[in-house]
Amino acid sequence: MLWQKAWLETRWRFVIGLVILTVMAGTNVYEYVVTQRMMPLAESALAGADSSPLGAAIREAITLQREFRGFIWYNAIRDNLTQMGVLFAVLLGCGGLLAETKKGSALFTLSLPVTRKQLLGARVGTGLAQCFAIAMLPPLVIPLLAPAVGQSFSVIDSLAHGLCLFFVGALFFSLASFLSTLFGDIWRPLLIAVFIACVAALAQFVAPELGVFKVMSGESYFRTGSLPWMGLVTSAVLASALLYSAAETLERRDF
Amino acid sequence: MSNDLAIETVDLWKRYDDVDALRGLDLQVPAGSICGFLGRNGAGKTTTIKVLLGMARATKGEARIFGVAPAADARGAAVRQRIGFVSDEKDLYDYMTVGEIIAFTRPFFPKWRRDLEEKYVAKFELSLHRDIKALSRGTRTKLALLLALCRGAELLILDEPTAGLDPAMAEDVLQALVGHVASEEMTVFFSSHQISEIDQIADHVAIIDRGRMVISGSLDELRDRYQRVQLVFAGDAPKADPKAPGVVRVQRQGRVLTILTRDREALVAESRAWSPVSIDSSPVSLKELFLESVKTED
Repeated sequence: MLWQKAWLETRWRFVIGLVILTVMAGTNVYEYVVTQRMMPLAESALAGADSSPLGAAIREAITLQREFRGFIWYNAIRDNLTQMGVLFAVLLGCGGLLAETKKGSALFTLSLPVTRKQLLGARVGTGLAQCFAIAMLPPLVIPLLAPAVGQSFSVIDSLAHGLCLFFVGALFFSLASFLSTLFGDIWRPLLIAVFIACVAALAQFVAPELGVFKVMSGESYFRTGSLPWMGLVTSAVLASALLYSAAETLERRDF
Repeated sequence: MSNDLAIETVDLWKRYDDVDALRGLDLQVPAGSICGFLGRNGAGKTTTIKVLLGMARATKGEARIFGVAPAADARGAAVRQRIGFVSDEKDLYDYMTVGEIIAFTRPFFPKWRRDLEEKYVAKFELSLHRDIKALSRGTRTKLALLLALCRGAELLILDEPTAGLDPAMAEDVLQALVGHVASEEMTVFFSSHQISEIDQIADHVAIIDRGRMVISGSLDELRDRYQRVQLVFAGDAPKADPKAPGVVRVQRQGRVLTILTRDREALVAESRAWSPVSIDSSPVSLKELFLESVKTED
């Protein structure tokens, strides 16, 4: 029954997230045709691009988007699914028992014959399952729709990118879950987690090897065909540590 | 800790930041009693209940329900299976309907009473398809009470069950409670600052003030024990306070000395030395007892 409660509390965030990310992935497939029509214009811009970091970035963006696989990775996976995936993972992690105190239902929940770890466990289990669906399903739309624009995209590639999106998404979900055991509203955990994600994105420019979003977008898989195992394991370990801290914090809290 | 007690606390302290909400509370609720937990707003009633249910942790001292210390772990969860609880807020899950929250709560309690569920749904005129967020405060209180009564609990803990209700609705809730307790074998511990409610349904009373127990016992025993003794003198009443044990409060008004005491015999014996014209004693009401007991803490 706790699973049902967790599902009812988060279902709209999940459904909205799934629809938005799926529509984005599908739209990116159709955008490929439009982009290819505009490619001659982009090629002329490429001729004018200098050797500065910005010029190099423009050159790479145009080069990657000449092919469907590069276009999809660059636009759908690296940008849209990664950014929105983080946002919805954070949204799914926000709330829970402490936020219930504001609504007044926390004491009813705490009077049930279940432990606080069970309450958190049901919430986290449901949230992670939702994060998994949000990470895996939208990339699978790409191979499904690619034939409509005369292209193909590997299902294996979709699954690999989905896995990367899930692991790092789970890290942000865990961060929001932990923050939700410290603050009794959903806004502070949301804003702090999004702020940390922005800092992580900026840190990537300074130290690319620490780039959490490089792991999330599966950049190494796209470029070399090998999954970023170190990044995935690190994400899993950090997520576990955050969830453990959340459970301990919740256990000690007075209501 | 005695097996005859459903609830017991010994020297219970609870500190929030720099405020002591409970200051060495000693509370005993006999199994099978209906115990009214009386106190002013902010006296520590809700904090006591939260500590008993493991929702807040005691700073010091002991609290036990059925001999088990409250906790957030599995042992605490097992004890909560034997308890029905209605919080003072009475807010439930706004995203559920009446039927959904009943169906949600039922599986947690193996002794859930389907017969009572049907009875109270009809008695409280609850529509199972109605959204909880659309319910009035009174109807929400009735739903919260249903969810507590149907648990098949041995102990019912109610925190201000009638707070915020109009008198008619409050009476409905109290009558339902009295009817339920009359037909089921259980202990009821309910907090209130409404003395009339406690007078109406309780057989035991515990009065808390500023985190401490000031009076507790069976209502009949308290009524017998506490007496108001009025001494009338030929001239002005003596200035000195009586030294007899059990004196709770002394009031002077011209030739009359009014004393609230829990040891009438000792007081009367001492006051004879002052040669009063007359000595009268009368029982005190729960209201007087409450008001006097919380005043003496100043």
